[in-house]
Amino acid sequence: MDAITQAFILLLAGFIVVFTVLILLILIVTVYSKIVTSVQNKGKKGKSEKQAAEKKDDSPAAPIVTAQTDTAEDNGEIPGEIIAAIAAAVSEIYGDKPHKIKAVKKSRAARSAWSRAGVLDNTRPF
Amino acid sequence: MEILQQLWQIICDLLRDSGFGKLSWENYVMVGVSFILMYLAIKKQFEPLLLLPIAFGMCLVNLFPDIMGMPVTQMLSEAELIKKGVDPASYTTTVLNGQTYYNYTEYGGLFYYLYQGVKLGIYPPLIFLGIGCMTDFGPLIANPKSFILGAAAQVGIFLTFIIATVMGIFTPQEAGSIAIIGGADGPTAIFVTTKLAPHLLGPIAVAAYSYMALVPIIQPPIMRLLTTKKERAVVMGQLRPVSKLERILFPIIVVVVVSLLLPDAAPLVGMLMLGNLFKESGVVDRINKTAQNELMNIITIFLGVTVGATATGTVFLTLQTAGIIGLGLFAFCLATACGVLFGKIMYKATGGKINPLIGSAGVSAVPMAARISQKVGQEENPGNFLLMHAMGPNVAGVIGSAVAAGVLLSVLK
Repeated sequence: MDAITQAFILLLAGFIVVFTVLILLILIVTVYSKIVTSVQNKGKKGKSEKQAAEKKDDSPAAPIVTAQTDTAEDNGEIPGEIIAAIAAAVSEIYGDKPHKIKAVKKSRAARSAWSRAGVLDNTRPF
Repeated sequence: MEILQQLWQIICDLLRDSGFGKLSWENYVMVGVSFILMYLAIKKQFEPLLLLPIAFGMCLVNLFPDIMGMPVTQMLSEAELIKKGVDPASYTTTVLNGQTYYNYTEYGGLFYYLYQGVKLGIYPPLIFLGIGCMTDFGPLIANPKSFILGAAAQVGIFLTFIIATVMGIFTPQEAGSIAIIGGADGPTAIFVTTKLAPHLLGPIAVAAYSYMALVPIIQPPIMRLLTTKKERAVVMGQLRPVSKLERILFPIIVVVVVSLLLPDAAPLVGMLMLGNLFKESGVVDRINKTAQNELMNIITIFLGVTVGATATGTVFLTLQTAGIIGLGLFAFCLATACGVLFGKIMYKATGGKINPLIGSAGVSAVPMAARISQKVGQEENPGNFLLMHAMGPNVAGVIGSAVAAGVLLSVLK
């Protein structure tokens, strides 16, 4: 076998091995991350339930407050009252013009000017 | 008159033994090159921790080549030893033709002994130990897809191997050692070269470390050429937080998987992951601090000056070295391009959620390559922070280049 053929075989073997090992690592990392996260969440949930039960036992006379969660559940994390307020504000601006609110989403947490300056300073490459 | 003659003789001897009498023009050229590298390290701050010791080692060895001199054992008669002013009783003897000779050893230069750590492949894994202590694998664990970009950048290594082989002037072992420069990983390049082509260690180590230091010059034009303005401006979503348990398990899992699949990569990956386990476990704080500070700094000094000291004028200024430097640069550019192109594929596949600039960080020059992704990204959008996203492919590149080294070693050794 000449050197060039051998080199091509090594090229293919290299591609296959490097990608296989790293894809295998992707799968392993993904799977164990999910397992660890679910185990830890379960642990946290169990702990908080236990704490809530203990609290309940300690204060039997506490009044039961029913939260209005229906609208909040319907719209993800944003409560219905807030959406109504936003819709009212939009309506106030647009008036009689035809308009439609397609979605209400939380914007990404914006950084303050100081925080932004700090991040810029710490991540400046040169 | 006799006094004057003796004085003249002493001056002539001094001149003959001085650098002016001993050095060739190649040494002066290399001293000039070392000055340029010192300028880049001090003024431009291109990886000064590496480039400055390399440049100074290069300068020193070309001014005083004996600093890299090997130890020499001579067989001397008793009279010759006494003339040297040493006690014959402290030397072993050899009897030749009935005559007793003393084995008189002249010790090697300082850099010769420090260089043994490079030659025997001791420094690269120790450097990896320190890198492991300083590396945060969190971005990679949070976004494991980054591994693909780390693998993509290694494509440059194997394509360069083909080209170096086709050129016909390098053996497959030499071609493999040259190609590994594309990984932009100095310790890995040294480790592979000591096993495959030790005679090329000097030029390959200098090329690998020089290109690592010159990442800020080499990578940005390739990144801009292969991406559109829109792609470069992509703002990536925040990474999820990674729990401590995930961080602790990661090095253990990686070392088990890689060592079982590619035992040749075990010294590098093993030490990298040991360092990371020191960091993440949080129970060996003293060792962690020593490995990432004192030990790492000492090894960096030894490695830097001795790698620089391999670049003597007569050895370095040859056509073969020019070929290695050229192919190394090609490998590095190709690795960067492959990383960016895979980044573009991921950009398309995810509907524009991944900025292709993080692909260039798949070459493993940590953390400089990630900082370049950040810098080029911020040129388009000053509010874009790609650094942590780029650290994922960057540290994946370290693992990827160690895996690629394992493949080259297992096939070519």
